[in-house]
Amino acid sequence: MSEFETVIGLEVHVQLKTKSKIFCGCSVDSQSRPNTNICPVCCGYPGVLPVFNFQAFKLATRVCLAFNCKINPSIYFERKNYFYPDLPKNYQISQYQRPLGEKGSLKLLSGKPIGINRVHLEEDAGKLIHKDNYSLVDYNRTGTPLLEIVSEAEINSSQEAFEYLTYLKLTLQYIGISDCDMEKGSLRCDANISLRAKGSPKLGVKVEIKNMNSFKGVKAALEYEIKRQAVVLEKGEKVIQETRLWDQELSKTTPMRSKEKAHDYRYFPEPDLLDFSLPPGLVAEEKSSLGELPLDKRKRLLESYSLGEKETDVLIALRELSDFFETAVKRYAHPKEVLNWLIGPFLEQVNNLEGGFSAVRISAENFVKIVRYFSENKLNNLAAKKVLSLALETDQDVDEIINSHQLTQMSDQGELEKFIEEALSDNPKAVEEYLSGKSQAMQFLVGQVMKKTKGKANPKLAREMLERRLER
Amino acid sequence: MSKVDKKTVEYVAELARINLTEEEKESLGQELSKIISYVDQLKELDTQEVEPLRELQAKGDVFRPDKVSPSGCRAEILNNSPLSEGDYFKIPRVIE
Amino acid sequence: MQDLKKLDQPLSSFVQVFDQPIKGEGKSPLAGAAIAIKDNICIKGKTITCASKILAGHKAVYNATVIDKLKAAGLVIVGTTNLDEFAFGSSTENSCYGPTKNPWDLTRVPGGSSGGSAAAVAARLVPFALGSDTGGSIRQPAAFCGVVGFKPTYGRVSRYGLIAFGSSLDQIGPLTTNFSDCAELLNIISGHDPKDSTSAFLETPDFTKSLKVPVKEIKVGLPKEYFSQGLDAQVKEAISSTADILKKKKVIFKEISLPHSRYAVATYYIIASSEASSNLQRFDGVRYGLRAVTKSLADLYARTRQQGFGLEAKRRIFLGTYSLSSGYYDAYYLKALKVRRLIKSDFDKAFEEVDAVLTPTSPTVAFKLGERVKDPLSMYLSDVYTIPANLSGLPAVSFPCGFDKQGLPIGAQLISRAFDEETLIKLGSAFEESTDFHKQIPVFKEK
Repeated sequence: MSEFETVIGLEVHVQLKTKSKIFCGCSVDSQSRPNTNICPVCCGYPGVLPVFNFQAFKLATRVCLAFNCKINPSIYFERKNYFYPDLPKNYQISQYQRPLGEKGSLKLLSGKPIGINRVHLEEDAGKLIHKDNYSLVDYNRTGTPLLEIVSEAEINSSQEAFEYLTYLKLTLQYIGISDCDMEKGSLRCDANISLRAKGSPKLGVKVEIKNMNSFKGVKAALEYEIKRQAVVLEKGEKVIQETRLWDQELSKTTPMRSKEKAHDYRYFPEPDLLDFSLPPGLVAEEKSSLGELPLDKRKRLLESYSLGEKETDVLIALRELSDFFETAVKRYAHPKEVLNWLIGPFLEQVNNLEGGFSAVRISAENFVKIVRYFSENKLNNLAAKKVLSLALETDQDVDEIINSHQLTQMSDQGELEKFIEEALSDNPKAVEEYLSGKSQAMQFLVGQVMKKTKGKANPKLAREMLERRLER
Repeated sequence: MSKVDKKTVEYVAELARINLTEEEKESLGQELSKIISYVDQLKELDTQEVEPLRELQAKGDVFRPDKVSPSGCRAEILNNSPLSEGDYFKIPRVIE
Repeated sequence: MQDLKKLDQPLSSFVQVFDQPIKGEGKSPLAGAAIAIKDNICIKGKTITCASKILAGHKAVYNATVIDKLKAAGLVIVGTTNLDEFAFGSSTENSCYGPTKNPWDLTRVPGGSSGGSAAAVAARLVPFALGSDTGGSIRQPAAFCGVVGFKPTYGRVSRYGLIAFGSSLDQIGPLTTNFSDCAELLNIISGHDPKDSTSAFLETPDFTKSLKVPVKEIKVGLPKEYFSQGLDAQVKEAISSTADILKKKKVIFKEISLPHSRYAVATYYIIASSEASSNLQRFDGVRYGLRAVTKSLADLYARTRQQGFGLEAKRRIFLGTYSLSSGYYDAYYLKALKVRRLIKSDFDKAFEEVDAVLTPTSPTVAFKLGERVKDPLSMYLSDVYTIPANLSGLPAVSFPCGFDKQGLPIGAQLISRAFDEETLIKLGSAFEESTDFHKQIPVFKEK
């Protein structure tokens, strides 16, 4: 492993969360029936002209600010000319010589900055479906605004690549410019990787990797490539400069079937669009709307609350979750307890909600009540979870729920007495098993008590009482 | 005279996706050579300090608001395709 | 409409005469007037082919903005007119429908690429027509046919719905028999269009207010580079007489220089072909128009485009693709953009001294059918006087200023500052007051 140094560059395409397409008024709704969100403009009809969506410009500016890019105060578009059936005009309106943003950076956890070479705007292409001996084209996606974010070749391991992508995505989600859903295609990633002898100033032969559908896939693909290229180089052979596709099933990369000649894109400035200058005040407006970015938040949470790294990562994975955490802790200064409930049962329930966190209505006050009551033994685990589920989408007052559902934990020995006796007398077999050494039988008996008390019993207490009873 | 040779004609034909017969390659090559020789006179001018002219009227910043406005001609667009299948445009198999 | 078809037979200026003309509903001074539209401007529901096989049978699915404006002004659209395929040409011989003939001499070309529109107006088949002008395609046929052809300032009229040739050069404009009609039609079609990002945010003045007003002390320049070799002697004389007539109205003339004039044709052909080569990439058989029968995708593109495009279209696509390709971009396309700035600066400097520039529209009168079509370069050179206005984005008009000894029309061209169409109308209508060249009507015959 190694006398070789790995050099990786990543190219990410992200769909901007606008309502309409970048150059026409069609909807960008990706769930529509095929070829419904189309018009003469995005279908490249004769005689049509593009008009630039201001919101796309705004969101793109915000991204440049989030990564500290130098923003070009005046931009223009260029035509990238090539023939492909998902590209109606057989040219893509993109940017080449003067991208919106340049020379930015993203810091990894270690503090190592990965340079961002450029951030530019372009229009998305359509979708192709391949049948046995023909293909079908759907133009719903053509014209969706895309941002291309290209890193410098400063990533030196598959783990760094994974981290870069994770924080890139998180940042983009935090600033609200995209859903960044790789499965839905709103975020795509291609990689460039080469190996060189350690200490060598010269870059090795670059191989492009495509068709990775998840960050894990990117990591695995890069690891595969590192091994593959190392083998080639150790033999004294040359790595072929080519594009390879990642095969998730077979866990390997294979060269693309069609010979990819170097494309002659014949870039030239788009004559149908004039220059666009950054409106005064837009930068200040977007900068102030950035908010705290994920890495800064992570650092601050770790320091302020002495939480573990893994848990903090779960917290910050969703901005709303970490915001909620902080609001909750203000009201109930027991960060560990709040955290456990939040990344445990709360998150589990939220993930099952239609609409995820956006469907959550419970207030921080209400939530911390549940945490506190559990800690005070007023609610047992099951009951607390039940209360949470009832208040989650409605923000119904927790005390009300507890009273109306009679969920107060039964922690009074006197109350529990008769249920303990019933459980024992109803289940002689379990009693026998326990007495003969099968300790799992105790779990069963506790469960029976819980059943009889409709979940209200304090399970710890019930277990203690049962054990005492059976010791006699 | 700058000659546009057959190799160049074939390269350009590939870029432009137009099939040519052998005769067409020959005649096009000759015509292009003549035209290129003519336009080569631009080399006489020293334009090092000259900015390319891209905007005729210095007025850019033409934007659209982010509003959805359906085209209303989806059916016509689909019907115009020489070959379609259901909701899709149909083409020969694309090899990726 | 039957009459129209019959009258048009010797000329073939129309591609289609509508069985039912499209009657606009609206009020304007031109309500009820008949107008013909060059067959590269989209009319919803009507076939539009740009005189090319590659768009055979294709029906437009939307109206060009100018069409909506015509309808809102109550005009009656009677049909579409012939052109050089995709507007590539100066003679209307590059049409898949065959050439249009010049009504003054049926053995001669009407000019191009808006030859159909110019011939139809000259022959008095319709009083109004729209054409498009990228390097002279309205003005040159207007000169050859003895009518008024106006190219507005780039950005004055919306290009939305005009099938693009040279995106930074194209403008739609009127062809009429006189300046009064021209001004009315300009009023209707001008104005900012939110669908066209290159259209200017300017109020449209009332161009009719410039008709028949005093032209005293307007300064007009005569560029010395335009009056040298290659210019037909009779044309030269007609321009001279034009200046004399305007001098009588106290217009001041002076000689000026546009030193980079001789590079205009080369600059234009590189830029226009480059833009066109890209604009025409969309014609690939997938979504509309001609589709060749093939088994593979590569063939679909290459055969459709081989079968669909005519020879001149192929030439332009090749020239354009070559000029943009790797290794040639700097020497050709980028260089041309720089020379374009020099050519525009020539005019900017000239307009510090004068308000308008007078030139011949074309070096010759209408040439014979077949005379130049086999020699592309000679065809391109007939646009030498009209091209600079497109490169500089300036308004320009051609108007009838005389006839040669064979009775063929001669056109004079006036060019003015950006968005100053008014000066052109003032000078042109003043000239019309003292002459009756514009009142001559051709009798179709071979000469």
